[in-house]
Amino acid sequence: MGFLDALLGRTKPAQANLDRLFGLPGAQITLEAAEGLQPTGQAGVCFKPAEGQAFTATETEFTALLNLGDDAGAHVSENSDQYGYRWVVLGADDFQVLVTRVHVTNTTLQENGFGPQLLCSVFGFAPTPAAGDARAAATVYLVYLYKRGTFYPFVPAGGERRDNEAELRLKNELGDDLSIEPDLSRWFPIWGLPVH
Amino acid sequence: MATRHRYPADRGLTAHMLLTMFLLGLLYAIVIAALVLAKVNLVVILVIAFGVLFVQYYYSDKIALYSMGGKIVTPQQQPQLHAIIDRLVAMANLPKPRVAIAQTDIPNAFATGRDQKHAVVCVTTGLLRRLNEPEVEAVLSHELSHVAHRDVAVMTIASFLGIIAGLMTRVFMLMGFFGGYGSNRGRGGGSAGGQIALFELAGLLFSAILYAISFILIRALSRYRELAADRSGAILIGQPALLAQALVKVSGEMSRIPSRDLRAAEHFNAFYFAPALAPGMSLSSLFSTHPPLQKRLDQLARLDAEMRRNPVA
Repeated sequence: MGFLDALLGRTKPAQANLDRLFGLPGAQITLEAAEGLQPTGQAGVCFKPAEGQAFTATETEFTALLNLGDDAGAHVSENSDQYGYRWVVLGADDFQVLVTRVHVTNTTLQENGFGPQLLCSVFGFAPTPAAGDARAAATVYLVYLYKRGTFYPFVPAGGERRDNEAELRLKNELGDDLSIEPDLSRWFPIWGLPVH
Repeated sequence: MATRHRYPADRGLTAHMLLTMFLLGLLYAIVIAALVLAKVNLVVILVIAFGVLFVQYYYSDKIALYSMGGKIVTPQQQPQLHAIIDRLVAMANLPKPRVAIAQTDIPNAFATGRDQKHAVVCVTTGLLRRLNEPEVEAVLSHELSHVAHRDVAVMTIASFLGIIAGLMTRVFMLMGFFGGYGSNRGRGGGSAGGQIALFELAGLLFSAILYAISFILIRALSRYRELAADRSGAILIGQPALLAQALVKVSGEMSRIPSRDLRAAEHFNAFYFAPALAPGMSLSSLFSTHPPLQKRLDQLARLDAEMRRNPVA
C-alpha cells in the first residue's frame, strides 16, 4: 500500500496472483523423488463469499464450467467452514488437469471482480504405498497464498498439532520449484481441511 | 488480463479527508509564519511537543495495552481469535499483528502500534462474550484496516499542532499570571510595558483559538478515518451488513452501561471501534472522535447496495 493510500485511508483490496500455481507440476516431481509423495488427486479453493446476487451468480458460473467436461469427479464438494469461508474441492487423476481446474475457478472469481475474496488453495500429497518410507507417513498439503503469490507446506500431525520438522524439510526441498513464503508467521494452520 | 475492481474509490470521503488535512496543514503554516514574524523563541515548546508525541507514537502499543489492561495472547491460548486474524491478514496481505485481550466487560476493540510490524489488535472480553464469531471477524477487519491505513502515525502527526497550541496557551497564561501582563515591569516606562502586555494577550488569544480550531479539525479527521476503516473492513470481508450488525450490537449494549467506568476510558476513543461514551454525555458531533452510528450504518448500506449490483462497474 502506497503512502497516498495510507494518508487518505484508502485500501486497494489486495489482488490475487494466479500464475504462480503453474509451478506446481515441477514441485510434484520433486516431492515424488525426494519424499515418495504423490498427489491425492484433490485440491481445495478457499474464498470468502461476498453478499449478494453477483457473487452467487459467479459461483454458479464456475460450477457450470467445472461440470462441462465428461469427468464426473471434477467437482467433488462445496462446503463452508467454521470461519465463514467457502471451500470448493476439486478432483482429477492427472495433476496437470487438477491445477488447470483450480485455475478455472480462480479466474472466474477474478474476472467477476472477486479476486480479493480468494484466501488460499490447498493441494494434497500422500505417501505412495510402495514407498514405505517412514519419513513421509502423513499426508502433506501445499498451501498457496493468493495475495502473497507464495506457497507453504502444511503437515497436520493429529489433533491440532503440526509436524514443523517435516514442514521445514519440505521448504528446503521445494525452494527451487516454488516460491516458498519466507515469513514463517504467515504459515497459518488450517485444521479440519475438507481436502484429502 | 485486466483486473476488475468491484468497488470504485469513495471520492466524497477522500475529498473530505483531504480538505481536513489541508486545513490542518494551513494552520501549521500560519503558526510557523506567526512565530517567525513575532520573533518568539519557542524552541523549548517545540522540543517538548515533539518529545511527548514521539514517546506516545513510539510506545503507542505499550501505553495503550498498559492503560487498557490488555494482555498479549498466544495462538495456544486463543486459537479461534488467532485463526480469524490469520485468515484476515492473508486476505488483506498484511503482516500478522500481535493479538491482545483486555479483561473488561465493555464490548470494544482497538488497534495500536507505531507501524504494521509493531501493530497490536486488542479486543475486550465483553466483545467476545456479546458478539458471535462472524461479528467478531467484522470488528477485527475494521481494526486491521486502521493498521493498514497507519492511523496511529497519521493521528499522531495531526495532534502535533494541538499539543503545541495547548502548550503555548499555558505558557502565555503563566506569563500573564507571573508577569502581571507587564504592569510590574515598567523598566522602560509605561508605554513599553503596555506593549508587552498587549503582545502577551494577543499571544494567549491566538494560541487559544489555534487550539480550538486544531481540536475540531483533529476530531473531524478522526471521524473520517473511522469511516474509511469501516469501508475497508467491510470490503475485506465482503459483508458490509455484518459490520453494521456488529456496530449496532456494540453501540446498543454500550449505552446501557453506567457512564462512570466509561469516562475513565475516554482518552482512548481515537483508536476504538466504538467510542466509549454514553450518548447522553457526548458534547456535539463536532467534538466526537467517532461518526454517529447512523452515519456509519448509512455508509455500510450504500456499500452493500454497490456490492449487490450486477454486473461489475
